[in-house]
Amino acid sequence: MKIKAKFFAYFRDLFQGREREVVLLEGATVGDALAVLCDTPERRREVFAGDELKPHLVVMVNGIQVQSLRGLATPLAPGDTLAVFPILGGG
Amino acid sequence: MPEFPISGYHGRVLVADLSRGDVRTVPLDPETALDYLGGRGLATRLLYDTIDPSSDPLGPGNAFVVAASPLIGSNAPTAGRGHMVFKSPLTGVLGTSNSGGTWGAAFKSAGFDALIVKGAAAAPVMIDIAPGKAEILPAGHVWGKTTHETNDILAAPAEPGEPVRVLCIGPAGENLVRFAAVANDRNRVYGRCGPGAVWGSKKLKAVRVRGREKTGLADPEKYRSGLDQALYLMKQAPVTKRLLRDLGTAGLVELINLIAMLPHKNFQDCLHRDEDVERISGETLAKSLLEKAGSCYLCPIGCQRHTRVAGRDGSEERGEGPEYETMVLMGPLCGIYDIDAITRANYRANELGLDTMSCGGTIACAMELAERGLLGREETDGLDLAFGSGAALEALVGMTARREGLGAALAEGAYRLAAGRGHREYAMTVKKLEIPAYDPRASYTQALGYMTSPTGACHLRGGYAVSLAFFGGAKEIPRFSLLQSPIAIRNMQNTGILQDSLGVCRFTGYAFSSDPWARMVSGVTGRDFSVARLDEIENRVATLERQFNVEAGATAEDDTLPDRFADVPIVVEGKERRISREDQERMKQDYYRVRGWDAAGRPTAGLLRALRVEGSRR
Repeated sequence: MKIKAKFFAYFRDLFQGREREVVLLEGATVGDALAVLCDTPERRREVFAGDELKPHLVVMVNGIQVQSLRGLATPLAPGDTLAVFPILGGG
Repeated sequence: MPEFPISGYHGRVLVADLSRGDVRTVPLDPETALDYLGGRGLATRLLYDTIDPSSDPLGPGNAFVVAASPLIGSNAPTAGRGHMVFKSPLTGVLGTSNSGGTWGAAFKSAGFDALIVKGAAAAPVMIDIAPGKAEILPAGHVWGKTTHETNDILAAPAEPGEPVRVLCIGPAGENLVRFAAVANDRNRVYGRCGPGAVWGSKKLKAVRVRGREKTGLADPEKYRSGLDQALYLMKQAPVTKRLLRDLGTAGLVELINLIAMLPHKNFQDCLHRDEDVERISGETLAKSLLEKAGSCYLCPIGCQRHTRVAGRDGSEERGEGPEYETMVLMGPLCGIYDIDAITRANYRANELGLDTMSCGGTIACAMELAERGLLGREETDGLDLAFGSGAALEALVGMTARREGLGAALAEGAYRLAAGRGHREYAMTVKKLEIPAYDPRASYTQALGYMTSPTGACHLRGGYAVSLAFFGGAKEIPRFSLLQSPIAIRNMQNTGILQDSLGVCRFTGYAFSSDPWARMVSGVTGRDFSVARLDEIENRVATLERQFNVEAGATAEDDTLPDRFADVPIVVEGKERRISREDQERMKQDYYRVRGWDAAGRPTAGLLRALRVEGSRR
């Protein structure tokens, strides 16, 4: 299946673009998608702390934070949009 | 009883009476200083002891107070902000506004803890403050000039190298626009609640300060331990370390859109095309208009956007902004995604001295009235007020500041504009203050913050729940918890009171909370300000602000969102969300209980006594 990953703030530099299509096996999870995307040590370092998501990171599936779903185990469906942000502030 | 000298304070308040034309220095009461710290807390107390809360905000009976804090003068990060308190001509309740820049620090170094300005002059004046002296001078030569022109004329130093800082209004304040601002350093602005109109009503154009007076550091070791921790944490947290410098506050645009909270067309919905949002994002701003980031006094964060944009006539214009609130309220709230038009409108608002937030909210209200046929072309001097018109936005900013044509009605703010046409339901305001750029239907906690902010719908006084709900992890504060919202928002409001009373920036809150501040303020003053004692001060200030509003005539009825948010749902995470009147009432009652106020939202006599708030000393 195919999903879309979108990057914001410095993740655009890190992943060299605003968005990327990811091809995954059926039943793949958010963790699987991020593992595919983080194909360099630097990318892995910015996204993962061990097997967990790094703090100060916001990952959403179709606008819902994965922390309020099943975290990295959240299953993905074809056509889903995964968004990856650092925690932002302002106002 | 405490006595001055207390390290960190000068122990002096400057009082200018513009009706009598005199300025005098009075001693600061030490107990008041320690009970209210400085900034917002101290200024609110001094205002409450100076004016009758039922007085006419644009009459000589109103006053404004600016206060520094004991931390200003130290090298604590961001400690240089000023806080201004007055009765608001826009809302009719307490008005408070905060600004960065350098004026706050300069004022403190002139040797005073606070400035009270009351009465009204017959002809334009300015106040000139230097160590040991202050005088009222004529200001006819700068009346009518923009904030930039006024700043540049008055800030010219008498001798080379002398620091001179100017706080001033533009034409909007002179014309009593109810959301006129006060500016310092050209583009740093005391925006909300209309302080510029209060100055205009007093014929006060500017307050100029110069000085190099120091206050002490009583316990350097204790101060240093708080400072080191604060600086360390600011380097660790991505927001304070680099994100605000990289993207400015407009870095939020994409995120707030993704969580279905980015308002559109006067809060009719939160629906935008992704490619439109991309055009006004912080990432786009950084790649297109940004020349460099900048910082306020002693700030390691650096969120300022120094930008350039092509003018309507093709010439190049330079200025600052847009910030997140301006980008959205002058942008998508008006159906506009043209970053150049938004930036130019922002520049004009800064020069003319308008609050960009209320200005955007009022123009969006006018556009909805026009869309519904409630504002005809005959009233708009032929201007097409369709949502999405950047040309209309830019024209209306100038017309509003000058009160030209339709601008005279817009100068009254969204509430009076809509209510004047018999349709107050199209004014997206709480207590007549235009709502910031986060749809309250997408977070109950944010909604309750708008409802209970002492100044009307303000994310800075009401509590910035967005950061709790989304940036701190959704598990901490669910977006739609009726039960948790009252305590969560009380805590956020209290943190804001502390930051405003210490003269420091909200954005430090992305790195650390009260503890480093407690140690720094204890170190400066040599008094024991524990976190618990700071919490008591925060509750004292919140209760005093409420008491001021009660005496100004506000009731629990005023702590209510516009009907739209109860009646018309938006879709968030696949569910329809609105905030029913019953839910609003329940959260409000819980919040009053958390604060120790009665069911009508009034502080009880026992609470006023326990917090030593009771009784104005005027």
